[in-house]
Amino acid sequence: MQISPRRPSSLLRRRLRQYRAIYLMILPVLVYFLIFSFYPLILGLVQSLQKERLLGTPQFIGLANYQSLLRDRNFLQALWNSLYIGSFSLVINIFTGMVLAVSLNELRSRAVKATVQTVTFLPYLFSWTVVGGVWVYVLSHNGLVNGMLDALGLDRISFFTVPAWGRPVMLFTNAWKQSGYFAVLLLASLVGIDPEVYEAAHIDGASRLQQIGRISLPMMLPTVKTLLLLGATGVLRNFDQVLIMSRPAIKDKVGSVLLFIYEQGILKMKIGLATSAAAVVLAATFLIALAVRRASRYEGSLYD
Amino acid sequence: MIKAGRAHNLLPRNQLSPLQKALNWLLLLLFFATMIIPMLNVLAVSFSPRLQSMQPGVILWPSQWTVNGYQTVWTRANLSRAFFNSSLVSLVGTAVQILLSSMAGYVLVQKNLPFRRALSLLILFTLMIPGDLTLISIYALNKQLGLLNSYQGLILNGLVSGFSILLMRNYFQSVPESLAESARIDKAGELRVFASIYLPLSLPGLASITFLEFVGKWNALMIPVTIISDPGLYTLPMVLRQLAFATDSTSGVDYIAPNAQMAAIVISVIPLIILYTFAQRFLIGGLTLGATKG
Repeated sequence: MQISPRRPSSLLRRRLRQYRAIYLMILPVLVYFLIFSFYPLILGLVQSLQKERLLGTPQFIGLANYQSLLRDRNFLQALWNSLYIGSFSLVINIFTGMVLAVSLNELRSRAVKATVQTVTFLPYLFSWTVVGGVWVYVLSHNGLVNGMLDALGLDRISFFTVPAWGRPVMLFTNAWKQSGYFAVLLLASLVGIDPEVYEAAHIDGASRLQQIGRISLPMMLPTVKTLLLLGATGVLRNFDQVLIMSRPAIKDKVGSVLLFIYEQGILKMKIGLATSAAAVVLAATFLIALAVRRASRYEGSLYD
Repeated sequence: MIKAGRAHNLLPRNQLSPLQKALNWLLLLLFFATMIIPMLNVLAVSFSPRLQSMQPGVILWPSQWTVNGYQTVWTRANLSRAFFNSSLVSLVGTAVQILLSSMAGYVLVQKNLPFRRALSLLILFTLMIPGDLTLISIYALNKQLGLLNSYQGLILNGLVSGFSILLMRNYFQSVPESLAESARIDKAGELRVFASIYLPLSLPGLASITFLEFVGKWNALMIPVTIISDPGLYTLPMVLRQLAFATDSTSGVDYIAPNAQMAAIVISVIPLIILYTFAQRFLIGGLTLGATKG
């Protein structure tokens, strides 16, 4: 290509023209995001500063919605529930995923490995309506778990009417749905380890258990960090699970902040309250992601 | 290999002690049982007669096989309509999504493209504004566009995901650029280079993204419950949600017995399991790329 002494702007224009076909290929996606991502975001932020009225234009009321939001006991409770269930779930799921991955990695039998992996992974593909539906039934008064308790001569447990059971049930079903997925990802990082590393440790006299502690676990660490970082942005986004599994008696313990937004904004049409709650959650999510990123000294990935 | 062989002669085999092995098997058995027993229970109840499914007890095998539950839920709870709705919305949505996000991913691997970095950042940013947090304004948007209670609404909301675009970009990055260059020298247009070089070389990636996107759309609940109120447009998750509450109290007029509810659950996961058996081969690669260093 011959470089002529042109002005930079016209050079840029020529390059833009050269890439016109390429730009056209990304145009639909950009238009889509403009309408379905950026516009709702801005609209939401504007609405959170307004007072909705049945007739006429909405009135600008500054931060009044935020003030009433922060005084709303239900919102604060929902925020706390989400934070509690979200962060414990993340830690529990990664931990059970690690245990499962290490345990599978020690198996010789390929068939057993594949079977266990498939069965534990499947619930990850199921929606919360499925997993929630299954466990609401399994834990119900006449369900499987109470049937087993009966058989053992123990008292039945009313999982959905005793508030103390609310959070454990949510954490357990979350682990049931997600652990297999985490295990698959963590196992992939174990399979990638050169067998000679283990062999060398073996020759140096390290027992297999020591090798797990000194080789397997450290080798999983980068994946664990990534999973923590990705999971952190989802900590406050629990909705489907509670929409399906929450019952009046346990709602005070498990109702999430997204459920609050849905109920206030869509069912009760309190737009100002709901949009300001969404803005608070969005800001909190950013802060959490930033904090985890800082803490894990993340080195870059797909998202850079 | 030789070294490993020699080591075997000198040392005991490099594995857990018998006791540790037994404990490991026990642990796996515990995991496996926790996962499979509820699934077996659901399957057994779905094939049980209505009355048996309402009795307390541990049901892991139907006392008497029947497809009554399936018939009830397919016709009376209108699951057939929801199945059709979910299939239509997921299939069309996934096809369009794959087309659009692979094209966008292709754009993002053009080395000398002006504003490429800005475009990547823009798409990265969309990952941070998840639809569920802008739910209220998404409702307002759909109202403005006349998308409430329509198939178009179900398809358009969440149609494109920045996640898929970035995944596609990562797959395309491993396509040798020299191939594209030589095609361009032969006067092939961009669409041609994209469709006949990049896409065929990224089929495993394409397969795993297609599967994951289909699963996501098949399972979507939040946006559908927000924009759909017409029962004729209910998707499977919406009907399952109703059923989960219907079996909850026996007071409801339209009481659906557990056998029918479990049948609905089985019906709604069958397509996923079938697709999984096909996608399994590619899936690990796709998932790993999505969640670890790409």
